[in-house]
Amino acid sequence: MSAIAAEHLTKRYGELAAVDDISFEVPAGQFVAVLGPNGAGKTTTLEMLEGFTAPTAGTIRVLGADPRRGGRRWRARIGLVLQSTSLDAELTVAATLGLYGQLYPDPRPVGEVLELVDLAGDAQTRVGVLSGGQRRRVDVAIAVIGRPDVLFLDEPTTGLDPEARRRTWAGITDLTVTGTTVVLTTHYIEEADNLADRVLVLAGGGIIADATPHELRTRGGASSVRFPLPEPRLAASLPAALAAHVSPDGRTLVIRDGDVTAALRELMGWADAHRLDLTGIEVGPPSLEEAYLAAAGGSLALETSSHA
Amino acid sequence: MPDGTRAADAWRPLPNAATLLAAQVGYQFRLLLATPSALVIGVGLPVVLLVVGNARHGGGGAANVAGYAVFGLTMTAWNTHGVRLVAARELGILRRWRAAPLPPWCYFAGRIIATSLFATLAALVTLLAGVLFDGVSLSAGATLSVLPVLVLGSLAWAAASTVMSSVVPGTGAASPAFLLTYFPVVLVSGVLGPLSGEPHWLTTLASYLPAEPVIDTVGRALRHVPVFSAHDLLVLAAWVIVGLAVASARFRWEPYRPAQHRSARQHHPQERPAGQPG
Repeated sequence: MSAIAAEHLTKRYGELAAVDDISFEVPAGQFVAVLGPNGAGKTTTLEMLEGFTAPTAGTIRVLGADPRRGGRRWRARIGLVLQSTSLDAELTVAATLGLYGQLYPDPRPVGEVLELVDLAGDAQTRVGVLSGGQRRRVDVAIAVIGRPDVLFLDEPTTGLDPEARRRTWAGITDLTVTGTTVVLTTHYIEEADNLADRVLVLAGGGIIADATPHELRTRGGASSVRFPLPEPRLAASLPAALAAHVSPDGRTLVIRDGDVTAALRELMGWADAHRLDLTGIEVGPPSLEEAYLAAAGGSLALETSSHA
Repeated sequence: MPDGTRAADAWRPLPNAATLLAAQVGYQFRLLLATPSALVIGVGLPVVLLVVGNARHGGGGAANVAGYAVFGLTMTAWNTHGVRLVAARELGILRRWRAAPLPPWCYFAGRIIATSLFATLAALVTLLAGVLFDGVSLSAGATLSVLPVLVLGSLAWAAASTVMSSVVPGTGAASPAFLLTYFPVVLVSGVLGPLSGEPHWLTTLASYLPAEPVIDTVGRALRHVPVFSAHDLLVLAAWVIVGLAVASARFRWEPYRPAQHRSARQHHPQERPAGQPG
């Protein structure tokens, strides 16, 4: 049986369908990333799965129970990181975790959780003086202290610097080896690519793609060649077959279809003639971002980690 | 494993509710101790008013000391409790607790009990200041006999404040809303000084509000006359029972979401307003 099952899930606010008749199942132990632009229905879906919001129509089962009716025992098996940090500033990190830990039948030791989220050095620091990234990791620590079977993470790394984000990823990755089912909403495609077994892409309240990151990339098209041109003026000297693939700003050569080997041969000849090295060249399947944009019809603006 | 998860772990016994309630009371009490405004309003302000008033006009006597003690108690149980509750709801702290495996009544009760203990202690500190600076005296026996009334009064105000918090939309409106409803009640009840010449209907009304019964009881203890009054205890008990019943029925865990956010989203589905789920 699945850890999570949603059937014909719908949430309407007046005329607006925030989530529009979506169905999916998540097997136990799977890590699912939910991607989509603002207003796609990611958080509304998550809030229905967590039991905060009642669906207008459809059914949800999380660990075999309706989240709206889940009692203490059910909640003891669920961990969640809300979209915004919600902690009392006055307590220390260790005291906060100790307080939450005692709610569970078999909590992880506070020290172990602090190690997991890389906050061992801040155990006696008041939450109120932590940085935004550190507070977010306290959120993650609270979510995992009860050894949850299902973990809901709503944009857990939004606003974190790249280093803090990678530390948080490492902590979350460690959880997956214990068989925890994870549902993550994120704006960062790189995050989904690094962590998830499966990606659900939402847009306009519906699921427009449901695949593994690899499958999604494959759907995004054939292998491609990407080369950042050292100078935009060099585009003029490219052979005609390559020049047609230069981006409008003249900075990048992107060849998404055709014979990759032939394109590389031409590119190497051109670089040799102009005494340029090909530092920065990338050859491979489309990035998950390109695949995402292809799945979404290329019309959706999604943040990438490089914009963060 | 019926749902493919660690079912063996799932059936370990949950911690008992009494332990969780005690932990919640301790936690909320520590938060109050660590909140400077709670200390200033509950303890600092009444003691300063008492000492300054004493310096200007000489000892104000039992009625003044009782009034200032109840001022600290009610400011803590009404204003501090209510404003902090609204802030916790707005910040999503209540939502996080609602999602935790804690019986909802444990959080609710823990918060009210901790506030009541803090408010009672604040009143006792002011009484001590009255003994030290105002020349009133209070025996250990009288202190013990007045304690249940202080606790009952604190519970009544905290319960009423919890009810009030459910209709205050956010922190921006919290202080004005709580202070505007607070001062008329405490002024007609004689918290900030004994009244004289007020109409009969007003004195009758004040006797059924939750401030005057506490002032009267503390005043009797300071004047060394019998403390017990069935009327005062019944009024306070009624406020506690009705207040807790209404508060538990109306308690809101979720932050207030203005309706205009939804309409904004309908017009611009790609632009999510702050705090609005996507």
